[in-house]
Amino acid sequence: MTEIIETPQVPEVVPKKVLGVAFWVAIGWLFIVSLIALLAPVLPIDDPGEIGAGGPREGPSWANWFGTDALGRDVFSRTAWGARISLVVGLLAITLGIVVGGSLGMIAGFFRGWIDHVISFVFFTLLSFPALVLALLITATFDRSLRTVSLTLGVLAIAPVGRLARASTLVFAEREFVQAARVLGAKSRRIIVKELLPNVLIPMGALSLLGMGIAIVAEGGLAFLGLSVEGDAISWGKSIVDGSQSRDLQNNPNVAMFPIGVMFLTVLSLNFAGDRVREYFDVKESAF
Amino acid sequence: MTRFMINKVAQLLLVLLAVTFLSFSALNLLGDPLFNVVGPLAELDCDAVEAGLIEDTTTTLNNQVGDCEIVAEARAVYRLDEPVMKRYVLWLGDLISGDLGTSFKNDLPVTEILKDKFPVSIMLMVMAEIVALGLAIPLGIYAAYRANHRADRILSVGSFGVLSIPNFALGVILLYLFALKWQIFPATHDDSSFFAEMKSLSLPAITLGAGLAATYQRLLRTDLLTTLQEDFVHMARAKGMTDSHIMWRHALRPSLFSIITVFGVNTGALIGGSLVVEQIFSIPGVGRELVQAVIRDDFPVVLGGVVVIASGFVVINFVVDLLYSWLDPRVRTT
Repeated sequence: MTEIIETPQVPEVVPKKVLGVAFWVAIGWLFIVSLIALLAPVLPIDDPGEIGAGGPREGPSWANWFGTDALGRDVFSRTAWGARISLVVGLLAITLGIVVGGSLGMIAGFFRGWIDHVISFVFFTLLSFPALVLALLITATFDRSLRTVSLTLGVLAIAPVGRLARASTLVFAEREFVQAARVLGAKSRRIIVKELLPNVLIPMGALSLLGMGIAIVAEGGLAFLGLSVEGDAISWGKSIVDGSQSRDLQNNPNVAMFPIGVMFLTVLSLNFAGDRVREYFDVKESAF
Repeated sequence: MTRFMINKVAQLLLVLLAVTFLSFSALNLLGDPLFNVVGPLAELDCDAVEAGLIEDTTTTLNNQVGDCEIVAEARAVYRLDEPVMKRYVLWLGDLISGDLGTSFKNDLPVTEILKDKFPVSIMLMVMAEIVALGLAIPLGIYAAYRANHRADRILSVGSFGVLSIPNFALGVILLYLFALKWQIFPATHDDSSFFAEMKSLSLPAITLGAGLAATYQRLLRTDLLTTLQEDFVHMARAKGMTDSHIMWRHALRPSLFSIITVFGVNTGALIGGSLVVEQIFSIPGVGRELVQAVIRDDFPVVLGGVVVIASGFVVINFVVDLLYSWLDPRVRTT
């Protein structure tokens, strides 16, 4: 009798997932920008509103890294202070989107039935407006404070975030571990919070990075419509608008181009990091 | 198919109702509707004027009418003394018959104000789509043809970068380089002739089209790579057809599905983008009119514009949906 030797199944070599150097460069940039934004009041830079911090319309120099605008205000410090509002608006907007949209989406995906119909219809209606048109409608009726602008952009984030949360919840609600919890008699609330939430949060995390980028850009869009934060408050959008009047743009493009560059790098970093996080946690793409 | 159509049309009507209601509520439920219609005039104490205690003022353009008369007229035209739901139904009736209300800031029907603004905005958006497809189709085909080679990688990084440039930033950069520095294109809108208008809309159209092109290019590349695995492509290759013939004549058409799907959704971004781009390049379109209306607190114009744009967007998505289910019958059964 010949002995059949069973060779043990060698598991396929799964390449270890890495986020890559570029990811950490992006995170590094975001960290630096956030740090400068946070520390702007104590950093040794000119007051962003100080007229005549340098001569008017000067190019970049050692004293004024990004040059000065028509009133001699320092463009670097205006960009640093602008980061405060732009980042806060982005952060608040996506937080509102995730808290409200995420909860609604999970409720819709978990309970199904008429609740799902109603919530999905609300999402669908919100998405039936071109985003900026909805923003215009809201800001037209309210004031243009930091709170309104953040709230408006947050409202825009509700439907896309909610749809993703609903879709992820639908998928996970069918999985065995959720079924098991159900059989064990867990209450709906416990299943949603303990079983579903941790799984839904991962795709939401990736989306929140992308969403923050979108909100920062949307603030810029509102600034061009004259509907961003009022008064002396500086945002990246408002700085770019300031620098893009024909005469300013022709004579000293630095006023518009430096904030554009900083904003572009920030949005690029957010998009890239979001994309990498999504791929990193994407179960479908991994080999097991 | 009939059942499918009935469902779709019912859905369309329901969404149109919701969209118009939401817009209407912005005027009527957020804040004081009278203030939204006539602005600061709403704060006049018109009861006192009527009682003869204080004099009526005239602050509007046509100084013949007293402010309180305007307020009274606005109350009547917008039926502000009726309950909200009744107002909505009557307003919807007006809307369907093409009456968008009256602007009390310049005493013109809203339809009249907006009518002339739509053609240039639509022309801008059509040009943007042409730019987008004109770039995306050849580049998408090339990227799929050279998949994972250097050219494809460069295109992929490039399109990722383009997607991260906010459209207003691209607009400002193009305005600076091509209109102010090298003066190839005009910096302001010129509609003296059709050709001049096309020329002055070129930079705005490129601004709007670039982001779309990047989206389309990525989708087309992915779809083409799937199509190129199909048997009929191997067959064509076996018959000795040239690569470019296979790409353009055989593989392209079945690979356009994803582009059609995102066309509807992207129209929203396009409309939002055109609001902003019209500001940068001073194009006298709907976007500019709406923004000016917001700034002068002329809410009827804002509401009229928003309702028309949002309804148009809903209808476009409806048509894309139908087109998609017509092209791919599997959608109908799900």
